[in-house]
Amino acid sequence: MIKNSLKKLELKDKLLALIVPLLLLAAWQSAVSLELCSPLLLIPPLTLLDTLLYLADSGELTINIIASLNRVLVGFLIGGLSGFLLGLFMGLSPFLDRFAGPLIKASKQVPQFALMPLIILWFGVDELAKYVFIAIGAFYPMVFNTYQGVSTVSKRYRELARVFDYRGARFLTKVILPSAMPSIITGVRHSLGLSWMFVVGAEIFGADTGLGYMMAAARNMFQIDIVMAGLVVIGAIGFSINFILQVIEKRLLVWRFSSDQGASK
Amino acid sequence: MSIEKGTLQIRNLSKSFTVDGNALQVLNNINLTFPAGSFISIVGSSGCGKTTLLRILLGLETNYEGDALLDGERIEGPGTNRGIVFQDHRLLPWLTVGENVAFGLDKQNRKAKKKIVDEHLKLVGLSGFESAYPAQLSGGMAQRVAIARALANKPEILLLDEPLGALDALTRMHMQKELERLWLLEKITMVMVTHDVDEAIYLSDIVVIMSSRPGIIKQIIKVPFPRPRDRASSEFSHIKAEILKEFHLGTEYPFAYAI
Repeated sequence: MIKNSLKKLELKDKLLALIVPLLLLAAWQSAVSLELCSPLLLIPPLTLLDTLLYLADSGELTINIIASLNRVLVGFLIGGLSGFLLGLFMGLSPFLDRFAGPLIKASKQVPQFALMPLIILWFGVDELAKYVFIAIGAFYPMVFNTYQGVSTVSKRYRELARVFDYRGARFLTKVILPSAMPSIITGVRHSLGLSWMFVVGAEIFGADTGLGYMMAAARNMFQIDIVMAGLVVIGAIGFSINFILQVIEKRLLVWRFSSDQGASK
Repeated sequence: MSIEKGTLQIRNLSKSFTVDGNALQVLNNINLTFPAGSFISIVGSSGCGKTTLLRILLGLETNYEGDALLDGERIEGPGTNRGIVFQDHRLLPWLTVGENVAFGLDKQNRKAKKKIVDEHLKLVGLSGFESAYPAQLSGGMAQRVAIARALANKPEILLLDEPLGALDALTRMHMQKELERLWLLEKITMVMVTHDVDEAIYLSDIVVIMSSRPGIIKQIIKVPFPRPRDRASSEFSHIKAEILKEFHLGTEYPFAYAI
């Protein structure tokens, strides 16, 4: 009974969430149909769909998506992993926290896009520069969230581990990491999300493949339809990444979602 | 002379903490002997050091003067010969009930572990719950799991730090019966810290009354009644009056004299 009505509620929520996008789509189409603005600057939805299908059909889209995803993967692995390790050690060692924490917090205040000229000077314009740029984006959410999770493991659990003589790697893998896992997963989500944004930024700055490149090149040729198609694809992939991570999160944190009270301590 | 397993001896035990540079004495010259297999309650107002005493027995406070001896050996750290049930059940939320019970069992193969877990869940009446998560359990059930976890290692003594303090009154009385049943079954020494005088009398062979600042032993009262005990009996009330008098809570005309 309750489950059924909950499902109904969920469906209702989902339908509600569609209303605003549909209205926007209608407004968009009518703006073009009523010739309120130039169809050269605002491509009609149906033309955009045609462009998307054309790009997909020609294989151009696939090549660029794969190029972008590749860069995200490498950059995220470098930045995310180093962020995770640094966050972990800072969370475990108050000394390292005092030592490195302030610098990391301060350096986060620099807008990372402002680093782009410097990165180009240091690392050139090829792949390495893009990896570095994405890695910087991926690093910060990972280091802060991991640190947060590890440093706030309840004293009560640490005490329990002492009573049962959990030490070293066993303590880390059975107590610290599971306890920090919700925070770490939040870090992964933000980190991967930012990687996806940074890859587009890096490709607009200069590249010969990738979705950002596709859009930058199209803008130069005044192919607004391709620019907008790029936006749609970037949004859709970003959304999918987040969705997949949410599914993984629910799997990994089944203990948090297994109660009606939701996440309890 | 050999000492029977589960015998606790506390000799001239003192403990102080340093707070803002000043030494604060929390336990002063405690002397106690608990025979193996007895049920002991330690009662006292907040801040009398009873929890500190329990933590010393558990091995979490190692820097103390005097001796706390288990089977004649000085307690210097935690060990699997002592089990603990905290006031909060302290189950790890990311582990299932079964995994929580197995938490203290190491270096045993899967089959042996599962057998021990099954046995102990059955012991506390929670067979079939091994794959549930702590968040799905009621307070009383969670505390049963915590007891199963503490007993799974076959400790010589079970330390109970206000184990039923977070439960509602009725669940609490059920759990007292449950603790008594487990104690009779396991035949191990149990040392319980509690605020609840009724609970102490209902369960204990010996009630130790402590007073605070610094914590000292004020009185040791033996409870010789047969079990199960009747909370409404006159002998029960009589002992209760005797204990409450130690806290200056006794009535002018104790119940026993009024009739």
